[in-house]
Amino acid sequence: MAIKRGVSLYSYQQAQFFGKMNWKDQIVEVHDHLKTDGIEIIDEATIRDYPFPSEQFIYDWNNFMARYDMQAVTMDIYLDVHQFRDHIMTHREAAERLKNDIKLAAKLGFKNVRSLCLVPIDVIEMALETAEKYDVKIGKEIHAPLPIKPGTRVQPKTGMASALDFRMSEQIMELADRTGSKHVGLVPDFGIFQHSPSQVAIDYCKRHAKIKESIDFILEHSKEYELDDMIRVLGEKYPEHGLAESEIERMSLHRSSADPEDMIDIIPYIVSIHGKFYNMTEIPGKPGCYEDTCIDYETPMKYLKQYGYDGYINSEYEGQRDQQDRGIEYLPDDVEQVRRHHEMLRRLIEE
Amino acid sequence: MFDNYLIRKDSLENVYENKKAVGFRFAVRIADYRGCFLSLHNGYYIECDGVEYPRELQKFEVNGKEPRDFEEIKTCVWEHWNFDDEAYVYVEKEGGLTPGMHRIKLQQSVLSQYGYMPWDEEWLVNPPVPGHGAGAGKTVNICEFELELQKGA
Repeated sequence: MAIKRGVSLYSYQQAQFFGKMNWKDQIVEVHDHLKTDGIEIIDEATIRDYPFPSEQFIYDWNNFMARYDMQAVTMDIYLDVHQFRDHIMTHREAAERLKNDIKLAAKLGFKNVRSLCLVPIDVIEMALETAEKYDVKIGKEIHAPLPIKPGTRVQPKTGMASALDFRMSEQIMELADRTGSKHVGLVPDFGIFQHSPSQVAIDYCKRHAKIKESIDFILEHSKEYELDDMIRVLGEKYPEHGLAESEIERMSLHRSSADPEDMIDIIPYIVSIHGKFYNMTEIPGKPGCYEDTCIDYETPMKYLKQYGYDGYINSEYEGQRDQQDRGIEYLPDDVEQVRRHHEMLRRLIEE
Repeated sequence: MFDNYLIRKDSLENVYENKKAVGFRFAVRIADYRGCFLSLHNGYYIECDGVEYPRELQKFEVNGKEPRDFEEIKTCVWEHWNFDDEAYVYVEKEGGLTPGMHRIKLQQSVLSQYGYMPWDEEWLVNPPVPGHGAGAGKTVNICEFELELQKGA
């Protein structure tokens, strides 16, 4: 048994947006060119008329997956708490959405659903019976800026990190152990091993910053300040910088949110993995070999292999959004980016 | 995301009622990598040739239905705007736009979220006014477009 390769069709969102590839073309690309079978989807991007797809869509999906002998690995699901607009969705209502998504995933042959890091643990627990009944695992995503284990990390008071619970992985493993359920686990995202901002993100921020020097200042001094302090210092130095907190947060990234060795203890709980990446470039001196210079793949992959992870890593290409503010000629080629990512995955799995 | 491509370049045209131009419209896509429940769509920041057109002057046409204002859109809690689908934004403006080029600034507001956030109660009572980044989803920048008015529908 070895680690298996797959693709989240999220990776082809740009090709889909421009009408160049529909979900069938995307699956054929994975089958024909990447020579693998793992498929992950974003429910609200692939499923026509979510959450009430036609019987024809469901049949067509299952038939197409069968025709190419593909595996429906994970369906990514969401929690929009403002859906009803006259009240914030209650936890029981959130559990109803989760249960409905689980049933939908089962109809489409998916083995897992990926639920978000901000979904409360009691919501997951309320849906567990449904997950068991339909034999679909709920995998809670470990997404940056979450660590796997909090260790000595100090949680920022601003940005996304402030709304998250740094003990999330622990809570999920506790729930799995307490209930004895095999239907709840984790979906680590390789973004937790990103240690610096991607060049495509830096370029985007610079193109839009009122004061370009403010971006250089963040990049040069990110190691000296925690996020809360960086926001304060930047405001003092460049009162007119106009940068959103989220931009300061991503430009000041200087250390991965998780430690690779923390993967070892969670391996039995992993349902699938997101292979997040932003920009695959050729490794200097190694023609035909590619890497994402801002994410550490090698170290976590070494542990995954050493400790026997045999599930899927599904590519999740996210660099396109930082290149869509310019003309067509500057748009990246998402198909080529994913092919490069699979060159890397194949190499790291086999080596 | 999709910054430069949120409005279809050849879609700007005047809207006529009883042979009189009563406004203009253009075709948009969702500024996200997924569709949304329609109720989450909270309108646009729209500036055309330096004039701002608030949400009260806007209507939204999607799913083959007549254009609806955003108070009505808010109640469409089970209808979905598919990621693949184009929609039309209608803007009320007596006399419509003059022939030629127009500069449009746009920010789309969709209150989709990744779970519970600290500002939820605030948004329930006072939904963000489009144009300030809050509730702007995946495209926080105000995007600019130079569009030529097409022959009216």
